[in-house]
Parts: sequence; C-alpha cells; structure tokens
Amino acid sequence: MRLEKCWFCSSTIYPGHGMMYVRNDAKIFRFCRSKCHKNFKMKRNPRKVKWTKIYRKLHGKELPQDTTFELERKRNRPERYDRNVVEDTVKAMKKISETRVEREAQFWKNRMRGKKTQQRREDLAELQQGIHLVKAPTALLEEPSLTLPKEKMKVKVSVEQESKAMES
Amino acid sequence: TIRPQTYSNVADNSGARESMRIRVPGASNRQYASIGDMIVAVVREAVPNMPPKGSEVVRAVIARTRKGLNRDNGMAIRFDDNAAVAIDREGNPKGTRVFGPVARESRECHFAKTVSSAPEVLRGIRRNRMMLR
Repeated sequence: MRLEKCWFCSSTIYPGHGMMYVRNDAKIFRFCRSKCHKNFKMKRNPRKVKWTKIYRKLHGKELPQDTTFELERKRNRPERYDRNVVEDTVKAMKKISETRVEREAQFWKNRMRGKKTQQRREDLAELQQGIHLVKAPTALLEEPSLTLPKEKMKVKVSVEQESKAMES
Repeated sequence: TIRPQTYSNVADNSGARESMRIRVPGASNRQYASIGDMIVAVVREAVPNMPPKGSEVVRAVIARTRKGLNRDNGMAIRFDDNAAVAIDREGNPKGTRVFGPVARESRECHFAKTVSSAPEVLRGIRRNRMMLR
C-alpha cells in the first residue's frame, strides 16, 4: 500500500479514494477526487490554480522547502525489512510531522507579520474618507468623542455640503 | 466497456489500425466487454500491404478502455483510449510489439507471456508494455 499524491492539488490519496488516469505515453496521473480530475480535463495548470499546494508554494504562501519534506520523498529502491528501522521510522514520522506543523505555523506567522498595523492604517484611511457613511455630520460636531474611540483623528465634515446633497 | 460497433485502436504491430467489435465469443448476447476480455472484431483500418485487410474478422484482447477498471485496492484506473491487441484463436498475439500501457487484467495467459518477452522495447516516450500493478 502506498499513499500517493494527487497530481493536481498535491493532497494525499488514501486507499479507496481517487482515480488514476493513464495516458498513452504511459504517464500516470493520480487524482484525489473528481474535482482535481475535472480541472485536469479542463487543462488547467495547477500552478495557476489558487487552491492547490503547488500554487501556494510557488507564491510563497506556504513553506516551500524544508528538511521535514525529505522524509516523504519517494524512494524507488525497496529496503530490506528491518524491525528496528521500521520502529525508528514510525517514531520519526510522528516527530517530523509535529516539527513540520510548527515550522509551517512559524512561516505563517512571519508571512502575516505587519499585517495588523497595515490593516489598521487601511482602516483609518477608510474611516477618514467615509466617516459620513457611519455617523451623521451633526453628531460629529456635537460630540467628537462619540465617533472614534481610540484614534484621535481630525475629520473634516462640511455640514452645508451634506444638506445640499440631501435636498437635491 | 466495449459494446458492439465500438471502434478501438489496435495497440500492436499486427497491421490493423482500428477495429470494430462485433461480438464477445462464448456468450450469446453479451453486451459489454472490458479490459482483459477477448472480442471478435472486424478490421476497419489497416496498415497498407500487411496481412489484415480491411473487413477481415479478427480476435483481439482488450488492453485499454476509457471506462477503465476498478481495482481491489479501491483505485480506479482510466486510460486514454480504447485499444485492443490482435490475437489468434489460441490466444497468441498476432503482432510482435504492443504499444502503450496495458493493464494487468489482460488475463489471457498466452498474451501476457508473449508480451513480457516481447523483443523490442521503445523506451522514452512510448513504452512497449507497462504492466500496471
């Protein structure tokens, strides 16, 4: 039994799942589900399809290269069965997948670093532009503390313009 | 599934190119033939100047189908085309080479044996035979 990788999305294909397509040049394509197969039939390039692992690795969304991936690399030479080796491998598999999860989490964290401050800045700018959508201009003038609790911001609102717009 | 009147490519160098299935021998009204079944077919298109002529009746073993197979381990296999290999009445292949991948389910014993010992293997793009496990 062998756990294969889907050609399109790179997810694991467990026994009982998926489909194998053999092209006449003897190239084999394995798919984990019909979604991937259908995309393949549409001749989509997985490198351009956003939800595939290949795309994500290519575009820096996920950990691209790491030593933890080495264990899963396909080895075509069969190894002589050795009980100790099997035992060690099973232990290693567990440890390595834990490490990989940690590293991926770290990668995500690094990727998202600075996102919060950027988000803040963007929100502020949006507020500045569109505060009239949120609060009536008269309310702002009356109680400036009502509107923006944390950030102090100068919001220029012209009351005459608003009333003119409403009349017309 | 190969039904009557189904055209399939001939995947060997016996001289036929395309064949059309007529019957499945052994059952009176058997509709469907799949990978590994022997069929009786008529040669529809042949390589010029070679033994099988158009409209010659020939036996063949189905090597590939688009419908494919379902394996016991749950994996479903589909091929690119429908293809058959021409054999004679005993089950020995008529040609010397088989083109393209072949499923292990081509059950004819003679067929499998001769194919495994086929003389030439085209490496690279097209492989003579690939037994899919």
